[in-house]
Amino acid sequence: MDPAVDITELYAAHRLQLVRLAVLLVDDFASAEDVVQDAFAALARRPDAVKDPSKALAYLRVSVVNTSRSALRRRRTARAYTPPHDLSPPSPEDSAVLAEEHRAVIVALQTLAPRQREVLVLRYWSHLSEAEIARTLGISQGTVKSTASRALTALEKTMTSTMTSTTQTSSGEEER
Amino acid sequence: MSTPPDTRADLEDLLRSALEARAELVRPEDLSLLATAAPLRPRWQSPWVLLATAAVVLLILGVVFQGLAGQQRSDEIAPRPDQVELPPNVGRTWEVSEESSPARLDLDGDGVEERVEFLAEPTPDHDGRTRVQTTLSSTGEETYGLVELGSTIGVNALGPIDADADGDQELVLYTNALDGGPNAPFEPVVLDLREGLLVQAVSSSPELLSGGDVPVPGSETDHYDLFHAQSFLVEDGALVSTRSRSAFARSGMIQLAPETYVMDRYEWSMDSDGVLVAGEPGCRVHVPESSTACTADSRDDLPYVTSQSTDTIGVGEEVALEDGGLGYRVRVEAGEPPSAVVDGPGADGHVFGLDLPDPRVSTISPTELVSSDGASLFVTSASDPTLVQVVVETADQAGLVRLQPVGDIAFGTGTTDSGRAYRSWLTGAGVTVTVVEGADGSWEAWRWVRVGSAETFEMAALPWGTICFDDVEDPTTGQAC
Repeated sequence: MDPAVDITELYAAHRLQLVRLAVLLVDDFASAEDVVQDAFAALARRPDAVKDPSKALAYLRVSVVNTSRSALRRRRTARAYTPPHDLSPPSPEDSAVLAEEHRAVIVALQTLAPRQREVLVLRYWSHLSEAEIARTLGISQGTVKSTASRALTALEKTMTSTMTSTTQTSSGEEER
Repeated sequence: MSTPPDTRADLEDLLRSALEARAELVRPEDLSLLATAAPLRPRWQSPWVLLATAAVVLLILGVVFQGLAGQQRSDEIAPRPDQVELPPNVGRTWEVSEESSPARLDLDGDGVEERVEFLAEPTPDHDGRTRVQTTLSSTGEETYGLVELGSTIGVNALGPIDADADGDQELVLYTNALDGGPNAPFEPVVLDLREGLLVQAVSSSPELLSGGDVPVPGSETDHYDLFHAQSFLVEDGALVSTRSRSAFARSGMIQLAPETYVMDRYEWSMDSDGVLVAGEPGCRVHVPESSTACTADSRDDLPYVTSQSTDTIGVGEEVALEDGGLGYRVRVEAGEPPSAVVDGPGADGHVFGLDLPDPRVSTISPTELVSSDGASLFVTSASDPTLVQVVVETADQAGLVRLQPVGDIAFGTGTTDSGRAYRSWLTGAGVTVTVVEGADGSWEAWRWVRVGSAETFEMAALPWGTICFDDVEDPTTGQAC
């Protein structure tokens, strides 16, 4: 029997978007590609897990979010055992430049708890509704709402702190 | 210079634009050219199979079609997707584990060996996946596989094999679980080059292709389970596994595999679908540190029950126990009832009442039944040979207690409810055994071991094989049936 979904077609259609989603969650390109490959491989192993082709993207999105969280957890714990260093070659986007205000947001985003970051990315980049985010993360809509609110507050606080600190440093340098 | 947003709406706008900008740094052309993570084609969809089908049509038309003779190479044949899995292309940035040694083998069959590296997925417990990768000498293309070996530390390959006899070699790794103990089962992992990828072969009989003490399904009882002693190795370029014909009992740290036992030997081949298939079983005999060819009279060692400790002491006598050098002495003092008095390390005159008529204490200790170093006594009755007791020192050396037999096997000498005779004794090696008569005149041997905690003072019998006696009252007459 043919599987319910055509994985090759899904791969061609959604891989870029899913890698971008993963990049926003795990911060580095190589890991993001791995996360997405893992997600497609999981679907390839169980193509019948998705009966309705229209739900395949949602299934992959859940897989990417969960795998990203696992990757972050592994990386965080592994760093406790080894000195931080990065031997991987520079990723394509390393050479590109984010606007300063955007970079400040992305840096602040990285300081949030994984669940908070997931909610913000799914809401403000994937443009999912609260109900869709709740289904993706396996939490209630109320939790989505409260997590988003707390995440924005934390993000604002971090950005304010960083920008104030940067401003003071810059002023000091100008005085010298 | 940027400033913090003034309002929540400003913050949300800034977040949207920042996420969009960050995401768009990943451009379509940045994506690696990775294989689509889809199942391999069913074999009937393989171009080679379609080509073969076309050839049949041509032959029917009377056209002689040549060039397809000979065996196809496995990397040209797609396995069944429900059995063999395409590896996802992940882990390209993982690092080579320093404890792993690269493997060298001819994966693509061009006569030149590839150097295969093992990259470890970084995890705190070193239990992530291993990316197996190399560059093929025939094409210059990179190939890879992804395996879970239990540990990323010290990945090493066994000798290469050619299980499908197609001229290229397959890589054999093995799982290396860190948390299962020294005899925990482990399996070989066979990687075959198929459609440019290192694909893990599956076994048609995974229970036979395993090493270590492999439990027998459904054999678990309250006090023991059974296992087959298994192993695998690469022998003359072939993957070989062995499995003890008999299943042996184990309980806690105790396992009753004899030193010598007969094994079935299987040589594995790989079929065109990439499935490992066991050949007809051959015969080998396991001996300590090695194995030998079977002969007509090859068999497992008999259970070691063919000796009996017969030296005992009674009231008014004292002896230094043969207890493996623990250094205990026992004397039997008169009284109602008489008592055993033990002296030695941690036991300064410990007393235990012997409530058997005419008690006798063996001069050999049943040391296997002490939970820690301490005194142990095997007690019988001179006037009632059906009675027998084991007395041991408590773990905290506070005194002596009698072990209670638990489980289905009776302790002592007599006849079971089903009419089967049984007899118990202490061997010359200090092992406490019971034999139970079988319907055909043979005897099942059982060996008593401590079960439960150090505070429960229980012992249970583990099956130890079958033996025949000319006279069960004289264990030295024991022989193969």
